[in-house]
Amino acid sequence: MLILGILAIPLATTLLAAGVSWRPWIGWATAVSSTAVLGLGIWLCVTTLSGSQWALNHSLRADSLSAFMVVVIATVSLLATLFTPRTMRQEMESGITTARYARHYVILMQVFITCMLLAVLTANLGVLWVSIEATTIATTFLVSHRRTDGAFEASWKYVILCSIGIALAFLGTVLIYYAELHATGSVHSSSLDWTSVMAVAHHLDPNVTRLAFALLVVGYGTKVGLVPMHSWLPDAHSQAPAPVSALMSGVLLTVAFYGLLRFRAVAVAALGPTFPRTLLVVVGIASLVLATVMLIAQRDLKRMLAYSSIEHMGLLALGAAAGTPLAIAAVLLHILGHGITKAVLFLSAGEIYYLEGTTEMAKFSGLLARRPALAGIFGFALVSLVAFPPFSLFVSELTMARAEVDAGLWWAVAISLVCLSVIFAALTRHGRQMLMGTASTTDAAPSTLAPSMAIPLVTALVACAALGVLSWPLQSLLAHAAQVVMP
Amino acid sequence: MSATTTTLYGVAATLVQVVLLGLGGPLLVGVMAKVKARAEGRVGAPVVQPLRDLRKLLTKERLHARHASVVLPLAPMVILASTVVAGAISPLVSTHPLLGSSADILVIVYLLLTGSAAAALAGLDAGTAFGGMGSSRAMTIGALAEPALLVAVIALSIQSGTSNLPSIMSSTLTHPDWVFGPSRLLALGALLIVVIAETGRIPVDNPATHLELTMVHEAMILEYAGPELALFSLGEAMRLGLLFSLVANLFLPWGIMTDHTLLSLLLGTVALVAKTLLVALGVALIEVRSAKLRLFRLPELLAGGFVLSVLAVVTGLVTR
Amino acid sequence: MNSTYIAALELAAGAVLVSAVMTLWRRSVRSIVSMLSLQGMALSVVAIVLALHEHEGALFVTGCLVFVVKGLVVPGLLRRVSRLDPRSRESRPLVNVPASLVFAAVLIVLSYVVSSRITGLSPSDATHLVPVGIATVLVGYFMLVTRRRAVSKIVGLILVDNGIALVTFLLTSGVPLIVELGSSLDVLLVVVVLQFLMVSMRHHSDTDRLTEMKGLRD
Repeated sequence: MLILGILAIPLATTLLAAGVSWRPWIGWATAVSSTAVLGLGIWLCVTTLSGSQWALNHSLRADSLSAFMVVVIATVSLLATLFTPRTMRQEMESGITTARYARHYVILMQVFITCMLLAVLTANLGVLWVSIEATTIATTFLVSHRRTDGAFEASWKYVILCSIGIALAFLGTVLIYYAELHATGSVHSSSLDWTSVMAVAHHLDPNVTRLAFALLVVGYGTKVGLVPMHSWLPDAHSQAPAPVSALMSGVLLTVAFYGLLRFRAVAVAALGPTFPRTLLVVVGIASLVLATVMLIAQRDLKRMLAYSSIEHMGLLALGAAAGTPLAIAAVLLHILGHGITKAVLFLSAGEIYYLEGTTEMAKFSGLLARRPALAGIFGFALVSLVAFPPFSLFVSELTMARAEVDAGLWWAVAISLVCLSVIFAALTRHGRQMLMGTASTTDAAPSTLAPSMAIPLVTALVACAALGVLSWPLQSLLAHAAQVVMP
Repeated sequence: MSATTTTLYGVAATLVQVVLLGLGGPLLVGVMAKVKARAEGRVGAPVVQPLRDLRKLLTKERLHARHASVVLPLAPMVILASTVVAGAISPLVSTHPLLGSSADILVIVYLLLTGSAAAALAGLDAGTAFGGMGSSRAMTIGALAEPALLVAVIALSIQSGTSNLPSIMSSTLTHPDWVFGPSRLLALGALLIVVIAETGRIPVDNPATHLELTMVHEAMILEYAGPELALFSLGEAMRLGLLFSLVANLFLPWGIMTDHTLLSLLLGTVALVAKTLLVALGVALIEVRSAKLRLFRLPELLAGGFVLSVLAVVTGLVTR
Repeated sequence: MNSTYIAALELAAGAVLVSAVMTLWRRSVRSIVSMLSLQGMALSVVAIVLALHEHEGALFVTGCLVFVVKGLVVPGLLRRVSRLDPRSRESRPLVNVPASLVFAAVLIVLSYVVSSRITGLSPSDATHLVPVGIATVLVGYFMLVTRRRAVSKIVGLILVDNGIALVTFLLTSGVPLIVELGSSLDVLLVVVVLQFLMVSMRHHSDTDRLTEMKGLRD
């Protein structure tokens, strides 16, 4: 029931948004819906601690991992939907959007959220693939929402690259299915379900599984934004409206990563830890290094945030490569912390773009003097992003590094620490240039920030810090969720 | 069945094949010209016109270009001889012609290519501009067609497990389902492209043109006259007949003589004529329907043939 | 019966691959799209032949679905797109046609080598044909990488997808119906989405300039 409720709420909101033309209250309704999903998600976390939940004739299934992902999705989508009325008003004022496109935007946003929820709540690994592919279709028009040359180009690139990548993931899924059929010797109705695959995971043919896992890493890796198929990410994230970027960067990437986590468990069971670990370390390090290089000389604010997403996805891949329960728990905490932080950053960057009319970092300086509240929030979020204590990213990165060293990946840790310190320097420099300095324009008085904007963002940052200081409410949940993907 | 009878029928089949090629080759050229003429709404020359041309040419005096060397008179003989040998040993009427055991598919291919090389040398020999141009074009086409040809040959031999042509044909007779398998059909496509290129038909070359910019084969024989031109043309016509009847036999092997009776010899002859006419008809219709490709578009066509033959090999390996 | 089944399966699978190569060979969008249509139909024949042989109702339904979606609807959509486009030729591919055909031949051999590992697990008449599917996938990727026109990219995407579908049918007689439905609909939706994008871009500015992806850079 709980699972059905979580899926039904955004679905109902979608129908509501489809049924009427755009009004600001619909935006608030989507926020209410996200809040409800968040509540049900937390409840689901509590119930799944004592065992998995099933629904709809065993086609939907929730364990602690799914429940945790529901919470992450709901949190970030709450932040994003809270900004929907504001973004739409701003865009309509400046003539980017009409009521018609605002309606499309709300519908697609809800479809997008529903697809992500379905991806984490389905019992079947094939349906997982279908829903992740469906997010591509839903988000394409969100990326091209602003209807500029750049937006069209970004969404074209996004669809083509993600479809190519996800096709590989489908091939990988099919190969896993083939190996499963071969291991069980018969077709049954629950073939390709997570539980039935895991039941025979130790007997899957190694040759087929190896190829399948490689395809899955490249395929889902495209959607995660891992090298080598990352190039859609900076374009899409920089061209989409801010709430969409927040959702894509904050959760879409990690939902795809959730798929990888599940398949990693299958691959480790069938192949032993070495092959999956090598593959994940390679893509993780490659993504990290690429992000570092691109961040040093970045000039665009939103592209900078996008490359930082690639960096964090690389860190997640390294954490998953270590694969101990501790590492996976840290990966999950990192997913939550990164989701919240990135959402705050993209949303405030959207506001900066609206006020300043550009995202080119060289064009604005002295933000702190001119817009203290907005710049303050942005600055703290940036501090959180570079994993400063007390924010939770510090805890999760530290724990991941520890787990990686324990797993014998000290050299990968060494490389990632070098990259992280370079990124730290680069982001600090970019941040200082934007926030500090004298106000170049002659604004009369420092502008204030509307409470409807400030309150959610500040709350999110406080929550992020609280998670870092006291992670106890999550500890048993994270440990439980990590156990799910232990082979 | 005694060894003598076998040899006797082998000799008979070989003789029939050579005579059939010698007379049938020029007739085939005539038939194709007639079919094209009819399809284009013209009456066209009679079918025996190429034979009449040969007879007329043979009575003329021998004339050589001033700077020509011994290659010029020698080349037509090489072409004719190589074609006659290839035609004698190939399984056309019978699967057991004389020396059929040496009719390896590679032997046939390279006998025919010897003829092509001789023709190219002949084109160069007189030292005129057109001859050299024709030779260089013909060699370009030949070089592009050769990979496709060889790979198609490999595809054919994979299925039967041998590269001996008579054995390929008899094993096809015992496995008729091969003929409609994807490997054989793909190889047929590739071979058709190669045959069209090697015999200089549209869309690769237009046998009826004497336009400087486009002619290939006609440019090579520009310096020939009299009996030597007759030999040259006869050799080329026999080559055409041989290639067509080989393609016909590879893909429709039925009717070929496998035992040793007079009836089957007769049947084999009739079947060969019928099948070859079928192929000629097909090629003539392709010619009518298509325009000559520009020279620099030819690699596309021949690369297509190459891919088809690679496909034939892979599907042959896969489905074996 | 059995030899007819094998012959039909081989012929249909062969047609899938040949039509993939033909899309590299031909230049006019019109004939490329008819090749795709042929490929979709051949693919559905593979599914239906397998379904009849193994008495799988679900696969039969999938086969019919594939016929409608990939044989008729998707090519129909592409035809509409190409009618919008006056310059319906792939005029300057990054790799010229002969070279790409030769490269396709290399890819085909490569796929044969690669897939021997997979097919070794359960050798059967159907799994032997898996290299054909892998080769189609590789040809599709090659098309995506080397062709610049927007329509050609969509064609490449469909080739990849058809190849994967072929592998799926041959290896496992089809994944569970729900997944198959999902993946077929996804293809349809992706094509629709791309078509919408192309149309909006044309209203907005020059499609090909945008799809060559020169605008967004670091």
